[in-house]
Amino acid sequence: MSQQRMALWAAEADLDEDLQDVDLSLAMGSYGQNELYDDAQQPQLDESALLTMQQHMAQQAAFSQIPDVVKRFIVHFHQAVLDNNLAEITVAYESGWNRLTEKYYAKTEWPEAEIIAPLVNDDQIFLILYRELYYRHVYSRLQPNIDDRFHSYENSCELFNYLLNSDGPVPISLPEQWLWDIIDEFIYQYQSFSIWRSKPRTKTDDELGLLADGGAQVWSSYSVLNVLYSLIQKSRINEYIVATQEGKSEEEISEIVGEYGTKPLYRMLGYFSIIGLLRVHVLLGDFTLALKVMDNVELNQKSPFTRVTACHVATYYYVGFCYIMLRRYHDAIRTFVTILNFMLRMRQYHTRSYQYDQINKTADRMYALFAICHALSPTRLDDNILNIVKEKYGEQFAKMSKGDEGLPAFEELFLYACPKFISANPPPYDDPEALSALLESDQPHVDPAHRHLALFLADVQAQSPIPTLRSFLKLYTSLDASKLANFLDVGEEEMVCQLMMMKQASRSISRIGSDKEGGDKSAKGGLLDGQMIVTSDLNFVIDDNMVHIAESTVGRRYAGWFIRNTEHAQRVLDALRASPLPSSKGAGGAATGPGSGPKPKGGNDSTDVQRNNAPRPGGQKVAWGGVKAA
Amino acid sequence: MPSSTATAWISPSTRTSVIENLVSGVDRYNPSNVGILEDYLYQQIRSQEYDCLANLAILKLYQFNPDLYNPDVVVNILLKALTAAPLPDFSHCLSLFDERPPAPKSEDPLPDLIPSLSTMHTLLIQCRFPAFWTLYHSEQLEPLRENYTIEYVGFEDAIREVVVRAVKTSFTKISSERLGSYLNLRGAELEAFAEQHEWTFDASAGIFTIPANPDNEIESIVVQEQIELKQLTNIIAHTTLKR
Repeated sequence: MSQQRMALWAAEADLDEDLQDVDLSLAMGSYGQNELYDDAQQPQLDESALLTMQQHMAQQAAFSQIPDVVKRFIVHFHQAVLDNNLAEITVAYESGWNRLTEKYYAKTEWPEAEIIAPLVNDDQIFLILYRELYYRHVYSRLQPNIDDRFHSYENSCELFNYLLNSDGPVPISLPEQWLWDIIDEFIYQYQSFSIWRSKPRTKTDDELGLLADGGAQVWSSYSVLNVLYSLIQKSRINEYIVATQEGKSEEEISEIVGEYGTKPLYRMLGYFSIIGLLRVHVLLGDFTLALKVMDNVELNQKSPFTRVTACHVATYYYVGFCYIMLRRYHDAIRTFVTILNFMLRMRQYHTRSYQYDQINKTADRMYALFAICHALSPTRLDDNILNIVKEKYGEQFAKMSKGDEGLPAFEELFLYACPKFISANPPPYDDPEALSALLESDQPHVDPAHRHLALFLADVQAQSPIPTLRSFLKLYTSLDASKLANFLDVGEEEMVCQLMMMKQASRSISRIGSDKEGGDKSAKGGLLDGQMIVTSDLNFVIDDNMVHIAESTVGRRYAGWFIRNTEHAQRVLDALRASPLPSSKGAGGAATGPGSGPKPKGGNDSTDVQRNNAPRPGGQKVAWGGVKAA
Repeated sequence: MPSSTATAWISPSTRTSVIENLVSGVDRYNPSNVGILEDYLYQQIRSQEYDCLANLAILKLYQFNPDLYNPDVVVNILLKALTAAPLPDFSHCLSLFDERPPAPKSEDPLPDLIPSLSTMHTLLIQCRFPAFWTLYHSEQLEPLRENYTIEYVGFEDAIREVVVRAVKTSFTKISSERLGSYLNLRGAELEAFAEQHEWTFDASAGIFTIPANPDNEIESIVVQEQIELKQLTNIIAHTTLKR
């Protein structure tokens, strides 16, 4: 690993030269020490005093353009970071930044870090954080050009270098949401760069030149993985999770995780890096490794990653998608149902979140993936989710259950809902001959998403006779194979092969059994583990030439619904009892007595309050109890 | 994949601690370890073992380091993955193939072989075993047989195990003619093979009997809803507190 780490930082030094970026050539070691920083700046002034003067004047002009309210915001934001005041940072980060973006920077960049530097006393750490936001804004609202892409990479490197290679843990605190966004955005920009880089035809000569010089190192897969693994190792997050699961005491845990792991900043970055790895491996098409890195993470509502909704949702999306690619449709369905139900319940709370739109889009993708899984392995796990799927994707849903003719519907939903796959390697920008050969070749370019689609569709197509077979088998308890072959208008041997295929498709590895066995400690086997289960209600066996069929039925489930509504009724009743009588002030009716009035028997007050405070978790538990019984 | 859990697939008993470290740790990204993994693959080829995750680690290294790419290794990995059907190991392997610049064809046998291997995989997951054997013994696949499966100890038997899994799941009795076409075996060979799996042969009827197993015993089940006390704790607690 050390070798790769060198490669990453070495690449960065090269880039500084290539891009002649004055500002970024600051000595790495001088973060947080303002005096040293001034020293470092001095020689540059001597070397190109005139140029600097001009720059200075331009910067001053730009500075004067900044609205006062933005200046005040930056000063305030900086102060909050200096004070490690998490509450203030959160307000500035989640609300202030977005409000000012809407007002002043909806279509343009925020002021560059160099221009606002005087406002924050040239605090390099804050400027790195500021640039993190600056580039994220460019990527989300505007079109990043090649300089933005290279510079945002450098800034990410500086940020992670500061976090990982300072003397000891760095003394800053950031809100968990921001920490997740840092990891999330880092991977997003890597993904965005990889996709942009994979299309040599649309590049200008300048871009081709830059890509030939430094493109292989910037945003390379190794450098991205290196950051994520380094954060995981530094924070000893896996050791932390295992120790927590083993019920170790706080002292023991802090012994195990060391000086970095005890800091919330590093612990959460480590945690989010595991989720980040899950995502990177999926993007690169390595679905088994993606689930393997999650070995220690427990997928339940109590896990720390659920505290950041965007992270919670992303985790389930990628895990569910992996299960689809592992052809474990039932596990995928369970994963999606869990998170989609959670989102339905949380809807009223997270509408305010600035990531609401993004989260909703992911949810729509998961409904589409649910539809795919359901077509391949029908289940009645959750009628509520199923109904929403039918509303959203009714047309495709109907087509997909029709065998061969449903393939275009599978394709449409897969391409809509799959992650934005990337190639690990760039086109040969550093080899002009190979590049021009590539550009001139008439071989159609197959993007990674279509490669994965083709592999998936091959399996779907193999299963295409199932719906027809199923509809015939359902009509009989036993039936001669030759007769069935006649109905289907295929040869008997061919049909027997189809039956074998159908039978095997109704068996799948799943985590269901392992969950129950281990109770709360279901994570012991990891997400890849599982045992063979039967996924179809239609079972059959071939006795020489006679097909015997047995169909299982699942009675309707009422309990969950009644329990939920009983609890709801209880809550309503409690709320009614706790509220004052609707009588007017002077009316004597208010004195009807405490027994039936607003205050029930004294001792019960506190329990009522508790119930009212936590209505949601109560409702959830019941629903999950009901579903688990499936 | 003889067992009914994924445990042996995730971590086969033949995996040494050195390989385990490579599969589970960050050393899997170190290009200098590719030799260890490749040796392990050839050990699998010689000793009828299979370790999918270790083989995927080789392909991962190839994905990140195109210089390491060795087509012979890739073909062997794909052949190993074929014998894991109906598990989707073969697709996992292909997922890790990035599009690579077209190399001179004579040097790389893979572009020619991949379509055939993919067809073989499709036939296996469709359980069209007679068609599989026809393709496998066709003239077109001579290079595959001469250069690769000849080195692969027990390749045909490994494919037969794919067949056994499918037949065991689906049949209680099967005619010798049908079973023979699936296994590409006839007469005494077929009977000997069936005997290994304790399938009894009724010579007069020409029918093999497959012993009962969880998949070929069928019954209709009606699943009734079960309510656990745990689900009702909230309601009961609430009621008792009121009184």
